[in-house]
Amino acid sequence: MGLSFTLNGHPLSLDADDKALLLDVLRQDLGLTGPKYGCGLAQCGACTVLVDGKPARSCVLRAARVAGCHVTTLEGLADPQTGALHPVQQGFLEKQGAQCGYCLNGMVMSAVAFLAHTPAPTEAELRHALRDNLCRCGTHQEIIAAVLRAAELLAASGESRAHD
Amino acid sequence: MTDPAGILSIHEDLDGQRVIHLQMQADGIVTGFNGHVDLGTGIETALAQIVAEELDLPLDAVQIVLGDTARTPDQGPTIASETIQVTAAPLRIAAAQMRHFLAGRAARRLNAPLDGVTVRNGRVQWRDTSVSLAEMVAGLDLSMRLDRTVPLKPVADYRIVGQPVGRRDLPQKLAGQYPYIHDLQVAGMVHGHVIRPPYAGRDSGAFVGHSLIGYDAAAVAGMAGLIGIVREGDFLAVVAETPQQAQTIAEALPVQWRLPPPLPDMADLKTTLQQAPSTPRVLDQTGDFAAGLAGCATRLDRTYLWPYHQHGSIGPSCAVADWNGGQPVVWGGTQNPHMLRADLARLVGLPPDAIEVRRLQAAGCYGRNCADDVCGDALLLSRAVGQPVRVQLTRAQEHLWEPKGAAQVMEVSGGLDTSGGIGAYALDTWYPSNNAPNLALLLTGRLSPEPRPSDMGDRTIIPPYRIPHKRITVHDMAPLVRAAWMRGVSALPNTFAHESYVDELAFAAGEDPVAFRLRHLDDPRTADLVRRTAEAAGWAERSGPRLRRAGRMAYGQGFAFATYVHGPFPGTAAAAAAWVCDVAVDTETGEVTLSRVFVGQDQGLVINPEGVRAQIHGNVIQTASRVLREEVTFDAIAPTPKSWASYPIQTFDEVPAIRSLLIERPDAPALGVGESAAVPAAAAIANAIFDATGVRLRAAPFTPEKLRQALQAQGGTAPALAPPARPAPGFLARLGLARPLARAAAAMGGALTLGAVALPFHAAIPPSPAPLATNFSAETLARGRQVFAAGDCAVCHTADGGTPHAGGRAMHTPFGTVYTTNLTPDPATGLGLWSFEAFDRAMRHGISRDGKNLYPVFPYTAFARIEAEDMFALYAYLQTLPPVAQPTPQAAMLAPVNLRPVNALWNTLFHDARPFATDLAKSDQWNRGKYLVEGAGHCSACHSGRNLLGAERRGAAAYGGAMVEGWWAPPLAGPAAQMRGWDEAALFSYLRQGHAPGLASASGPMGAVVASLTALPDADIRAMATYLADLAGPPLSAPAPTAEPLPGPASRLFRAACASCHAPGLPDTLTAAQVPLAGAAVLRAPTPEGLRTVIRHGIAAPLSLPLRDMPGFADELSAPQIEDLIHYLRARYAPDLPAWPGAGR
Repeated sequence: MGLSFTLNGHPLSLDADDKALLLDVLRQDLGLTGPKYGCGLAQCGACTVLVDGKPARSCVLRAARVAGCHVTTLEGLADPQTGALHPVQQGFLEKQGAQCGYCLNGMVMSAVAFLAHTPAPTEAELRHALRDNLCRCGTHQEIIAAVLRAAELLAASGESRAHD
Repeated sequence: MTDPAGILSIHEDLDGQRVIHLQMQADGIVTGFNGHVDLGTGIETALAQIVAEELDLPLDAVQIVLGDTARTPDQGPTIASETIQVTAAPLRIAAAQMRHFLAGRAARRLNAPLDGVTVRNGRVQWRDTSVSLAEMVAGLDLSMRLDRTVPLKPVADYRIVGQPVGRRDLPQKLAGQYPYIHDLQVAGMVHGHVIRPPYAGRDSGAFVGHSLIGYDAAAVAGMAGLIGIVREGDFLAVVAETPQQAQTIAEALPVQWRLPPPLPDMADLKTTLQQAPSTPRVLDQTGDFAAGLAGCATRLDRTYLWPYHQHGSIGPSCAVADWNGGQPVVWGGTQNPHMLRADLARLVGLPPDAIEVRRLQAAGCYGRNCADDVCGDALLLSRAVGQPVRVQLTRAQEHLWEPKGAAQVMEVSGGLDTSGGIGAYALDTWYPSNNAPNLALLLTGRLSPEPRPSDMGDRTIIPPYRIPHKRITVHDMAPLVRAAWMRGVSALPNTFAHESYVDELAFAAGEDPVAFRLRHLDDPRTADLVRRTAEAAGWAERSGPRLRRAGRMAYGQGFAFATYVHGPFPGTAAAAAAWVCDVAVDTETGEVTLSRVFVGQDQGLVINPEGVRAQIHGNVIQTASRVLREEVTFDAIAPTPKSWASYPIQTFDEVPAIRSLLIERPDAPALGVGESAAVPAAAAIANAIFDATGVRLRAAPFTPEKLRQALQAQGGTAPALAPPARPAPGFLARLGLARPLARAAAAMGGALTLGAVALPFHAAIPPSPAPLATNFSAETLARGRQVFAAGDCAVCHTADGGTPHAGGRAMHTPFGTVYTTNLTPDPATGLGLWSFEAFDRAMRHGISRDGKNLYPVFPYTAFARIEAEDMFALYAYLQTLPPVAQPTPQAAMLAPVNLRPVNALWNTLFHDARPFATDLAKSDQWNRGKYLVEGAGHCSACHSGRNLLGAERRGAAAYGGAMVEGWWAPPLAGPAAQMRGWDEAALFSYLRQGHAPGLASASGPMGAVVASLTALPDADIRAMATYLADLAGPPLSAPAPTAEPLPGPASRLFRAACASCHAPGLPDTLTAAQVPLAGAAVLRAPTPEGLRTVIRHGIAAPLSLPLRDMPGFADELSAPQIEDLIHYLRARYAPDLPAWPGAGR
């Protein structure tokens, strides 16, 4: 059946089965590689995307449910004009928040959603917010530092925007 | 400008094969080749640093090709932290040699003396002239043999090595652009889905490769996308156009397997490991152990136990293979490309040279996962279908089949001599592991499935201490289940034994554990590490467990250290690491919190401090997780975990704070750091728990249950739950089903024999073509559509996946199965020949057109209340449905209910055909609501329990809640319906959009009911809400109670499998549950059946409603796990209600 939604700012329409999962549509039909398949059961978070700004585990979300929504993936975070990294991506780069990087998509997307909700988190709040994102390499300490750094960068960019 | 044609290589001839280590092109790009791979540790960056340093090039001019069999040397598997220590050596030498050669050419070009030029940032400098190294390559086409005598750069001159450098692959990974193996697209690629045998995770025994009896290809022949089914021995897979098609077909394919033989008793690992065949190998016999032991003043015999672990890659393995006319290319995430190539060659009968393995990055694997297996799968499939084939394992396949990190038993015997020193020490260790032969080789029978022992139990097997009498023995043995090296290999369990035991000895000696160790250490470098780590970490000296307490919490600090020794015995030392860690133990729940870990590490020369620290952090967090919570469990045949649900790993809220001290030794050779910091973990944590509580844990993982038990045994504080007896499974089910059936049959039999009841006889109403839809007014049809919607007719009269309204849905009753009828106006099979008279009689009296009684599962008992005008409108509307020829399957009812006249008797007993009566004391809205609820809506058909004869309970017992097709239809009246927060507004919201905020979301059949009700106007929904709110009574105001059951397997299962949606850490998660579990009707039901159904089948809510789905766990969790979970949920979220039968097993 026909399905229309906006992906990373670009409206699109495609044919998708009612049962098709958003993750499969993004990876298989639309050729994205940011969201990853990890468990298919919403346990690990590697497939996280944003739907109208809310974090969603695309491995358990039927694509038909995002009809008319704005879907943002890792590929869509950078500034479309300048190509500049999103402050959360920048935080992860500065603090080296990845080893193998397979969980990275989920960490970054969850952090983007979390910081939009809680712009200046304590470390304890951050740990709680990310507790359903699994990392097997043990990169947690770097990821925590990366998100706290991202919060600083976001605050700074907010201030610079406020002065514009 | 430089001539881009130039090229300079450094090569080596190994086993008759020329391998190139390093190449420089005239454009200045330098490429290093290494046969190892980057497992997520950043080895690519570190190797580039080494090359850039020796060549004096900027780092970004160097690229490293890893693990491509056509381009890189065979340097063995990427194991044992060897990349920096061993396989980097030729690269470093080649870079030095290249620099030497090019600097010489440059000196000649610049007319400078050779020892006068300097090289900096890729340029050769002589006074104020310079030339680039790249220019010196222009026009060359030269390959030089590696010269291992070339002088290397002094470490004192290093500018790049030793500097923190960011991971070079990170920017692309952050943008979602880095090509992991999972992301690879090859032109013409199709997709394979493997079907693995039932002996998951096992690789030895005669049944391996010989268990597939057959499969029914015809059953899936017409399925969309099917390209082929490939079988060889026990190897079976489906190839299709898309991955989803391949999986769908694979799941639909009927396959017959032989039942595998049971595993030995995996719950008693010590006995099982020690009784399995093994060969002792004595590795150290210093002094005379027997005599030494005899001379000990204090003797301790201890057994330490290590469980099976999952490597647990976050991404299930994936590979692509292109048979390519017999010159295959295989893309994989392998850890050992050359070893894999040899396996693949054997699999398809080609010489290894004919196959090229290209390595792409994959999810971290920390040892060995299914990366190689899936390459074999893809190659077999590509050969069979003649196209490139991609194979992606599912999470369950990866979890079940990955070679596990092996269990291990360590027995230590020894003691203190008369002077309080270690007098004697014997270690016996059993390690059931090998290198996990490629699965495709075993499944196809190319490799015989005999047990294959290996020798890797001997890592760090010699304790580091001065001990006069030693006997160290490894018992080499074959795996019991598929197993291979995992981070720390056997060194981690062996160190668990050494470093726990030495702590036990220190306690026996009444001496500080660090001081006791130092007193027995001869090697000054090791002693330096121990001393400096203890100092820097703030080690608190003690002569016994300090038992520091604050309320129920106990606090402790532990020490352990090890030098990780890898490679065949006596092996090579990698970095040495020491731990000082702090724990907090909750003495009531038994939970251990690892709050801080301080790691001191001596790795000689540090290549990249950032990379080293990242490896320390990864080792600490991953290994703490293994020590505190991880354990593979087994059923009779196979490992249990199919996802993180049954194998929880560390999460952000649990990871410790980590500090590290890198001991500076720039003049000592660089040592591998990939595993070292993992090795002391188990002992350090055990020692800290001992310091906190006096409890000595000798079997990992250190779960809350184990600690509670130990504290209780010690006379500590942990409470114990008295487990009530649990009836044998199946018993209740048999009871629940069999009794009412027997009683019902008896009652009906009794009634029949009375013979006093006059059975009414119903005449058939002759067939008469129903009028066409065009005969009815638009108003009538619109009204009929609403009655049709209010009655949810489509829900029951459409089979799963069937044509709408054509019937065929099975309705299961205690008396047998009835199938719903075809409502479409098809003359032969539907209502096409039904007059309104016939329709009206069926709706009100349960009598079919032919005069036969209908089973009361068809709710004519409610439909009798429908007003005449509505009934007619409904009849009219049915004529608008597209006719579908679909006969109704024959009902399968048990005697005597299968005698339709019995239903006539039933009607005389239970059916009240009077029309709806308005209650003048109530409002119009209330009456309208009651009419909809009790008439067309037939809510009581699901929400009222039934008596033994299948009739709805009435009066005070009406709307008391009931099970419907496994789903719980909660009470709408009576005390149980007086739920928290349910008022008219909440009921309206629920009936209107399937969701009452904070209270409930429609699931199971109710989702379809609400979807059907969308055709009704708000006024009707509000009327129903008004009536239902009155029926339920005023809502309770107190919040739903919750409790916190003691931690155990069920709480961990909930946390890992359910919490990401039912107690999510991240606010506003769109895929999380919309309503809290506290107060959920299904948790407050009298039986757990409804909850079981939700967990097993999940929720697929209608797309027309703003609801959310839930995955089903029937394939994911075992039946006992689901039972544990339902009892846990009841105890946690409905603690005011009695536990369901079977709780507390």
